[in-house]
Amino acid sequence: MAHAAFTSAESDLAPVFQARALAKTYGEGDAMVRALAGLDLECRAGELVVVLGASGSGKSTLLNLLGGLDTPTSGSLFYRGWDLGGADEAGLTRYRREAVGFVFQFYNLIPSLTARENVALITEIAADPMTPEEALHMVGLGARMDHFPAQLSGGEQQRVAIARAIAKRPAVLMCDEPTGALDVNTGKAVLEAIERINRELGTLTLIITHNSVMAEMADRVLTLSDGHITGEKHNLTRAAASTLAW
Amino acid sequence: MSLLDLKLIRDLRALKSQAAAVAIVMACGLAMMIMTRSLIVSLETTRDAYYRDNHFAQIFSRLKRAPNSVSAQLAAIPGVATVQTGIALSVTLDLPGVIEPATGLIQSLPEQGELTLNRLHLRAGRILVGRESTGEILVGEAFAQANQLKPGDEIAAVLYGRRQNFRIAGIVLSPEFIFEAPPGAALPNNKTYGVFWMPYKELARASNLDGAFNQLSLQLVPGASEPAVIAAVDHILRPYGGRGAYGRTSHPSHTRLRDEINILNGLSIGFPLVFLSVAAFMTNAVMGRQITLQREQIAILKAFGFSNGEIGRHYLKFSIVIVAGGTALGVLGGVFLGERLVDMYHVFFRFPALNFQLASTVVVLAVLVSSIAAIIGVAGSVRAAVRLPPAEAMRPEPPSSYRPALVERLGFGRLFTVTFRMALRNIERRPVRASLTVGALALATGILIVPNAFRDGIGYVLDYQWDLIQRQTVMVSLIEPSPARTLADFKALPGVILAEPVRGAAVELRAGNQFRRLSITGLPAQAELFRVIDSSGRQISLPPEGIVISRKLADVLGVKIGEILFVRGLEGKRVEFSVPVAGLSEDFAGTAAYMEIGALNRHLGEGDRINAAYLTVGAGQWNEFLHAMKASPRAGSVVVKNKIRQGFRETTAQSIGLLQQIYLTFAAVVAFGIVYNSARISLSERQRELATLRVIGFTRGEVATVLVGELMMLTLIALPCGLLIGSGFARVILMTVNTEFVRLPLILTAQNYAFAVLVVAVASAISALLACRRLDQLDLVGVLKARD
Repeated sequence: MAHAAFTSAESDLAPVFQARALAKTYGEGDAMVRALAGLDLECRAGELVVVLGASGSGKSTLLNLLGGLDTPTSGSLFYRGWDLGGADEAGLTRYRREAVGFVFQFYNLIPSLTARENVALITEIAADPMTPEEALHMVGLGARMDHFPAQLSGGEQQRVAIARAIAKRPAVLMCDEPTGALDVNTGKAVLEAIERINRELGTLTLIITHNSVMAEMADRVLTLSDGHITGEKHNLTRAAASTLAW
Repeated sequence: MSLLDLKLIRDLRALKSQAAAVAIVMACGLAMMIMTRSLIVSLETTRDAYYRDNHFAQIFSRLKRAPNSVSAQLAAIPGVATVQTGIALSVTLDLPGVIEPATGLIQSLPEQGELTLNRLHLRAGRILVGRESTGEILVGEAFAQANQLKPGDEIAAVLYGRRQNFRIAGIVLSPEFIFEAPPGAALPNNKTYGVFWMPYKELARASNLDGAFNQLSLQLVPGASEPAVIAAVDHILRPYGGRGAYGRTSHPSHTRLRDEINILNGLSIGFPLVFLSVAAFMTNAVMGRQITLQREQIAILKAFGFSNGEIGRHYLKFSIVIVAGGTALGVLGGVFLGERLVDMYHVFFRFPALNFQLASTVVVLAVLVSSIAAIIGVAGSVRAAVRLPPAEAMRPEPPSSYRPALVERLGFGRLFTVTFRMALRNIERRPVRASLTVGALALATGILIVPNAFRDGIGYVLDYQWDLIQRQTVMVSLIEPSPARTLADFKALPGVILAEPVRGAAVELRAGNQFRRLSITGLPAQAELFRVIDSSGRQISLPPEGIVISRKLADVLGVKIGEILFVRGLEGKRVEFSVPVAGLSEDFAGTAAYMEIGALNRHLGEGDRINAAYLTVGAGQWNEFLHAMKASPRAGSVVVKNKIRQGFRETTAQSIGLLQQIYLTFAAVVAFGIVYNSARISLSERQRELATLRVIGFTRGEVATVLVGELMMLTLIALPCGLLIGSGFARVILMTVNTEFVRLPLILTAQNYAFAVLVVAVASAISALLACRRLDQLDLVGVLKARD
């Protein structure tokens, strides 16, 4: 492990992610699929980036590479100067453990653990975590900490997932279609929680979605198509999540 | 081929390792069942044919001496079909190149023609016929093989105190000696004990029994009453020193074979049942998971119009394929192991030909039993699956609900890590499955206890017999009771350090309606070389009045200490007297009765006499002692303790070793199969959970701990249960060996337990590791993005 500390915030001005000619292909020969076709990207701390794109555009692949779930086929990818693209299995595990929080469309909570314990899973293994209670308060679930997933609504489950993702104070929060399985009002509550984390903790937040309405809450909007970044837009002002409607 | 069958084949391919695990566990049960049932059939049919073809007698008796004319009286008893009289003598043998003497029984061949009863089966050389002595002898096969004797070889025998050389004419088998061992022996010792035959004339001359006989065999007409004939025989032989006639049920060789078949009978039911129950549980677990995974497919099939019956049959076919595989493997395994065991039985039981016969009815039964086990295993899940309406089945299963585990509800939750609590709650949420897994693992542990308990029991008996009770170097028996001063002659032999007298007397012991015929052994009150031991391992000092008998004999006769036994002498002056039971001795082979030698001699009224002696011989003069002994005219037989002991060791090592290997392999297979399947099912059910843990930063090892932790917990619960179950199995199985002739004590050692725990733990660890390797193939992203 080359990099000293994944969680250090000493260089807020340096990019958190730096990708050059980042490419990922799956399969070989005729069956080869080019998911990412060589893109350049920089993301800075505290940014809220929304990545838009149709299915098959490569946005999930991008998230997998940035989140340390997969490695690129070519190109370079650095996380705070550490070669994330060339990391081995153990390096990726440590990176995910210390630097990244994930929120998925289908919550992926452990059904046998209560809300508090789902968060505690992380706080038990992280270096400088907040308490599970703190994290759950941040997402507005202070009152339902001892409920099992089966006793929570979809929106509540997703907020537990967010609390679990941020309890370790990650440098990066990766959200993959976080409202995909939710109705509008519940979805908004979830986006509000994400927005609050980004604002209060200064966590670089990437939201991957095909819902273009969410672009309004971002600092920057990237549009992906066929493995290329086909559009990049900076919002001068971010719309509050509570004002969004879809 | 229908599309559903094509789906079956592809699904089975995906499930192959789990299906194989179930089939192999099933095969173990079937192999054991086929092996033991076929062995029983082989032994019984071979024995019955041998008895029939070689005219094995139905009633037997020994006596002191009766003129040959008495045989006409015996033939006249109503119900008697054939009478055969002859001579039987103990003999000591001097084998070339072997220092220690062997002992045996030598029997006469008829003066004319061949034996009519207990006919010999010739293996090599030729049968001796005719009255004239030729200096030739027939030798039983077991002894001949153990000592590498063949026709034409010479052996020296001390017969009635006279040493003679004989040439071996033939190697033979006899239905009387299928189990070629001294009466009451649990295991053969073919190097030191043999059976022999020689012409009547020669044997009669050597034993001063010319024109007389001292043993007889009878065959009955069909429907004759055995007890009535026995009573009549005893009545006729009474004046001639008859020692009591007995039927096949008391015949040593017949009894030993019958005991063996009884043990096999027990094994053929108990163990296969255990394995097949485990296989049924495994089928249920595998198919239950398969059906849960295919919930949506079932819904689609039903939506397309497939009937419940068609879908039910489709899933039943899974188990049928598993049963077919398991049965094929089980039959092959059963035949393979059965053939090995037949080879082993050849060491114990000598038949003209003992061939492994695959009992076809057993195979049919095996298929039936395993099909039922599999159908029971799969029926529940199939029924649940076909009952589900298609629309409901197409929706994902509702999220599983959990609650804190019992220990947490009791307030101990804070003591455990989150992952440990996950395991606890998972176990508590599926209590039936957890208990079945525990049960199956416990059974696997338990079946490992039995073979080692057998081994330890036999070891204990040997040590008990040869260290605690008998501490002599040799036992010398005299040809006939001699004056007590004979002991002084033995004491004078080179190297003899200690000599103690023994007086044996054939008697009938009676209490109420129960009676047994055996020999009372008269010993010094505090003998050092043959000690009578009670159940707590202390030496019983033989009282000046009263008798000490085996605990088993007291059970059989229904007497307690202080009660009176009536003794009737069967030889000599045929005295009758009564004695109180003064103590109960603990022994494991046959039954025995002991009295202080002076008291016994007083009752017998023949003066101070001995008919055997126990001697301790210094190692330095061993060879000189043996040479002097072999030449001694008084010695009927010389038994060297260590020789016998070593023979026992070798035989038990052969037989118990093989059985132990079989059981060990099977138990390991079960342990392996159960843990592997449980881990695979757990992996399949919890892949989303495990993938989540990996994504949020748990290492592979940490996730494996979560997966295996639950199984480890179940294994830890199962191990002590298994030791208990195994001790129970051992107790039950050893009880089937608890006969009047052979008993095995239940010896459960820490090593036995440790070994069982180790085997199951190692098998579990290996299979868990194999299952964990699948964690690496987990598609983290794919699993997390999929809907539940």
